Amino acid sequence: MSKKFWRQGEPFVWATGLALSLILFLTLLLFYVVTTNGLAVFWPKKVVLATLQDGRSLLGEIVQEEIIPHTDTRRLQFKIGNRDLYGLDFKWVDASEITSLTYPKDVHVLERQEYGNFYGYLSELEVKGIAPPVSGPNSLARTIAALEERKVEVHLLGKKIANLNRRVELLDHHLAKASYNNEDNTPAIAALKGEKNGLKTEFEALVSILGEKSAALATNQAIFSDANGQPKAIALVNIVRTYQPNNMSFFAKCGYYLERLRELFFDEPRESNTEGGLFPAIFGTVMLIFLMSILSFPLGVLAGIYLREYAKDGWLVKMVRIAVNNLAGIPSIVYGIFGLGFFVYGIGGSIDHFFFPERLPAPTFGTGGILWTSLTLGLLTVPVVIVATEEALGSIPPGIREGSQALAATKLQTLTKILLPMASPGILTGFILAMARAAGEVAPLMITGVVKLAPALPLDGVFPYLHLDRKFMHLGFHIYDIGFQSPNVEAAKPMVYVTTLLLILIVLAMTSTAIYLRNKMRQRHSVVDV
Amino acid sequence: MQKLDKQFIKKIRRQDRIATRAITFGGLLVIASVIAILVLIVRVTLPLFQPANAEISHSFPTGAEHTPVLAVGMDDTQEVAFTLDDTGLFSFYDLASGKTFFTAPASARQARVQSVESNKNNVFALLREDNSVTVARVDFRLLYDESGQRTVQPQITPMGEYPSRSYPAPVKSIAVRAQDGRLTQVALLADNRFQIDQEVVTTDLFDNEKKESSSFLIAEELPGRITAFTLDEKGAALFAGTDTGSLLRWDLTENAAADRTDNVVAVPGNKAVTALAMVFGDISVAVGDAEGGLATWSQIWTGEGKDRTRRLRKTHTLTNHQARVERIIPSRRSKSLVTLAADGTTHLDHMTSENHLLDLAAPLSMVGISGQGNGLIGLGANNTLTVWKINAPHPEISLKTLFGKVWYESYDKPEYVWQSSSGSDDFEPKFSLIPLLFGTLKGTLYAMIFAVPLAIFGAVYTSQFSTATFKKTIKPVVEIMASIPSVVIGFLIALWLAPIVEKAILAVILSVIFLPLIFVGIMTALRPFHKTPTLQNFCNGHEFLLLVPVILAATSLAMGIAPTVEQLFFAGNFKQWLYNDLGLRYDQRNCIIIAFGLGIAVIPIIFSITEDAISNIPPSLTAASLALGASRWQTIWRVVLPSASPGIFAAIMIGFGRAVGETMIVLMATGNTPILDWSIFNGMRTLSANIAVEIPEAPMGGTLYRVLFLCASMLFALTFLVNTGAELVRERLRKKYGRY
Repeated sequence: MSKKFWRQGEPFVWATGLALSLILFLTLLLFYVVTTNGLAVFWPKKVVLATLQDGRSLLGEIVQEEIIPHTDTRRLQFKIGNRDLYGLDFKWVDASEITSLTYPKDVHVLERQEYGNFYGYLSELEVKGIAPPVSGPNSLARTIAALEERKVEVHLLGKKIANLNRRVELLDHHLAKASYNNEDNTPAIAALKGEKNGLKTEFEALVSILGEKSAALATNQAIFSDANGQPKAIALVNIVRTYQPNNMSFFAKCGYYLERLRELFFDEPRESNTEGGLFPAIFGTVMLIFLMSILSFPLGVLAGIYLREYAKDGWLVKMVRIAVNNLAGIPSIVYGIFGLGFFVYGIGGSIDHFFFPERLPAPTFGTGGILWTSLTLGLLTVPVVIVATEEALGSIPPGIREGSQALAATKLQTLTKILLPMASPGILTGFILAMARAAGEVAPLMITGVVKLAPALPLDGVFPYLHLDRKFMHLGFHIYDIGFQSPNVEAAKPMVYVTTLLLILIVLAMTSTAIYLRNKMRQRHSVVDV
Repeated sequence: MQKLDKQFIKKIRRQDRIATRAITFGGLLVIASVIAILVLIVRVTLPLFQPANAEISHSFPTGAEHTPVLAVGMDDTQEVAFTLDDTGLFSFYDLASGKTFFTAPASARQARVQSVESNKNNVFALLREDNSVTVARVDFRLLYDESGQRTVQPQITPMGEYPSRSYPAPVKSIAVRAQDGRLTQVALLADNRFQIDQEVVTTDLFDNEKKESSSFLIAEELPGRITAFTLDEKGAALFAGTDTGSLLRWDLTENAAADRTDNVVAVPGNKAVTALAMVFGDISVAVGDAEGGLATWSQIWTGEGKDRTRRLRKTHTLTNHQARVERIIPSRRSKSLVTLAADGTTHLDHMTSENHLLDLAAPLSMVGISGQGNGLIGLGANNTLTVWKINAPHPEISLKTLFGKVWYESYDKPEYVWQSSSGSDDFEPKFSLIPLLFGTLKGTLYAMIFAVPLAIFGAVYTSQFSTATFKKTIKPVVEIMASIPSVVIGFLIALWLAPIVEKAILAVILSVIFLPLIFVGIMTALRPFHKTPTLQNFCNGHEFLLLVPVILAATSLAMGIAPTVEQLFFAGNFKQWLYNDLGLRYDQRNCIIIAFGLGIAVIPIIFSITEDAISNIPPSLTAASLALGASRWQTIWRVVLPSASPGIFAAIMIGFGRAVGETMIVLMATGNTPILDWSIFNGMRTLSANIAVEIPEAPMGGTLYRVLFLCASMLFALTFLVNTGAELVRERLRKKYGRY
């Protein structure tokens, strides 16, 4: 009987079960790691004061704890911040060196414009121009809030200057074009030059005002002391946010969390992308998907309809179908390098040559940009759309076509009135899958126009509003960039996890919708079949 | 019923015709453009293999008063040519008109010049009939006038005068000025000795210039009469060839002393070395012989341990001339060499690729090369100067350099190396695709070893053994898994998994061993009960859930036991043991990590296609098998899997195609070192990651750019073939068993 057990292969059945559970285990593990790490990033962590055996102490968040390999000693990693004071954000301390760990209530955490977080105690506020000076609990946060109005003023001034700058740039382009066409001495040019000089004077005046205002603002500072009493003056304008994690209620923490989420979605990145928001990256990703869809969907559907409804079945169509099926499996980097060679250097170079010769050798379209990236991605996703359209049309029973044509409808009428509406869920599934693929693809973007920090969005209020030649930021590339090319990978990790979580959520939402739609469609057609 | 309006019918017919045409046109266009990708990528790579060509751009007679010509040359812009005649006068010609526009003597001395030697940087050493030596350099300055018009202004810089001495008359002299200001002048005397003059100008703290000069003779016993000699750019090494075919090398780095380091037979058969020149970069020396043979030699490390020394060895053999090699002129931009033979033929060869680039049949008596290496100037019959424009954009590429072993400079032996760039200009680019292909296959192979069994077994279980509800949930879960962006997987395995595995490498290995052991143990324990109906009811379709504890147990057991095992068997440090006892170096980003990452990317694909293939097997087959008394596993193993095998094969192929082309995961987690090593504990560089790493630094149209396009075409071809094969197999399967 026992031999039979093995011969009948029951253990092998279990072995296949083991394989499945391993797959599911690994998948869940991955999601678990991303979710727990990603969600925890914005939750305010308690700040601990560790007193060491040599009498010194340090303030910081405990990041992790481990046993040193090949020994029995435990050690803790602290995020001590204060990069401008210590040079390093993180510090390993042997557990045996720590005499006590306490959580002082009055410790402040500052998120700053530069040098990362600051952990310390507030000793003094030096504020000018706000009367009366605030005192009492929360004085720091209230003072910063009081300065908000002036900060906004300076910020707006800066924006104005940037705008002026752009206008001067535009004028420069016009002038360069005129001088290229040898029209140096026409009155129009003189007018342009006059306008440029006017703008320049305005620009300089604004710059000096900005300088004064920001200098005045920077005199408002607070004196802090670190764990060992070392004083540090920090200008209040450089403080992005301040909180006292050891003194926060649960709801205060929730509020803080929401505020960080708002920053994530709507603010610009800071500190070489390791802090701040993801707005430009989210915007770039969405816009890329949008442009890609405009380019790839109509073409893909057209080709799919042709293959299924119009092309005469023969070896050619069969070959083409296999080729198209397969193009979905061509590595994305190959599409990328094609985009670089054909779109960027080929078409872009020609556009520069014919339309912007005055700017050469500085390229306008002859360098990576969102147009070329979306064309490349469009090409990459066209096979997905073609296959989906074909499958959707193919799964409609031929009786329906015959019925329609028997009622004297033309082919076009059959297509637009009967087949396409029936196939639309399937085609839509293809669209969503294509979009999900485009959202997660990074390799081809890296060589056709994505950058780590784009100075301006591809869509803004300056004529011609849509700047297809601009480079842009992208969530997927953001992960690669800050995770692998940032100078301080340890400090960047939380941001990478958040970005990863966001990207996964976007892609999963799209894929799940696609799968849901497809299942719905299957149900509907199975009814038709009967 | 409404009567059909003729107008209306016409209209819809017209619309239909237009739509048919538009859709047909549009569809064909899309398909054509998609297929055009391959054509375009391949087109970019084609110039790599195009043969070089040369066309005559100018040809004019030299002025009769400036003959006989002893040397010719031209400037970088290919606008000005010059000749040196036996009075020591440089004459500069405007190439466009063929007229002399400037002449200047090398020095004020009047004696006739008997021989001239020059080096790559246009430094000429003129040996005069009164045995004095003049050293002078030709420079070209580019001047721009107000309208932006460019003119080339030649200029002669005197560099040294050596009055005649009481030694036997020299027969040949050569000089170089190193970048640190050291001037070395070597003269071959008629009695087969070398006279060496060195001059070092140093500046002390107070800006006082101090000139130190020394002069000495090399008077050792030589294996034959010296027939050719050359100096390197720094004046640190002197090479000489003899009439017996020996190649000698002296080290001149010590002041006032020459140390002979090599004496080898470079040309067998007692034939003379007739021309010597340093190849650009100063590492290799090109040797031409009396029979027309041409080869390059360089110092190679040989021997082991203490005996390890550098010896001259032949590294490349270039295309033969039909007659004695008269002169070798190296390019100043690449490892190309222009050689002139006694019969007047000129060859252009590239050292690294051993490519024979050009043959100029016009009989020439003197040749020169432009600084960019894209122009040749030659003195032909009747003192005619001819200038050729050379078009050889990728001389360093041949099938051999791409796919074969090449003996690169400073390497001990011929090797496969990928190293596209380096800090210095005289670097020899190494474009072997073998390490990249190897890396691609290595990563893919390890990933497939991990992924294929898991995916296929998982799919078998899902389609055959699990309950219908589970099947309904698992399929979408796996599809969602397939949509995880690869950059996410890459990030997780490189920044989260890799450090963990590095710390617990032994535990990882142990859990791979323990998992099957514990599994077999549990199966044995289960044997007596497997017929129990309650257990069977409970287990059927839920086995995989019951096995989760097995995985957890295996991992935790491995984690718990690993430190003890490490102490007992590996002297407390497994990685150290790997290195000391097996010679394997452990990298943090290694193939275990890659196998895992690529595996996660590939499993869903293989899983889905396999599951489809198995589910498409008609249930009648399974039912028949079960009815004949086969167990459920026997049915799967003997009936279902064989019928579905083409589909499973296709699944593996498509998974393979995806793994081969995956970029972000390998880019992030391999370390990207192009090495040839099967060890699972270190990384590699794949074709796809190579493209992503190098393309930002590749100037458009350059060699690297085109080689990267070649990488892309290879990836394209590889995945296209694999996928097409898989697609054809699936097509057959579909026909056999129907579509749904």
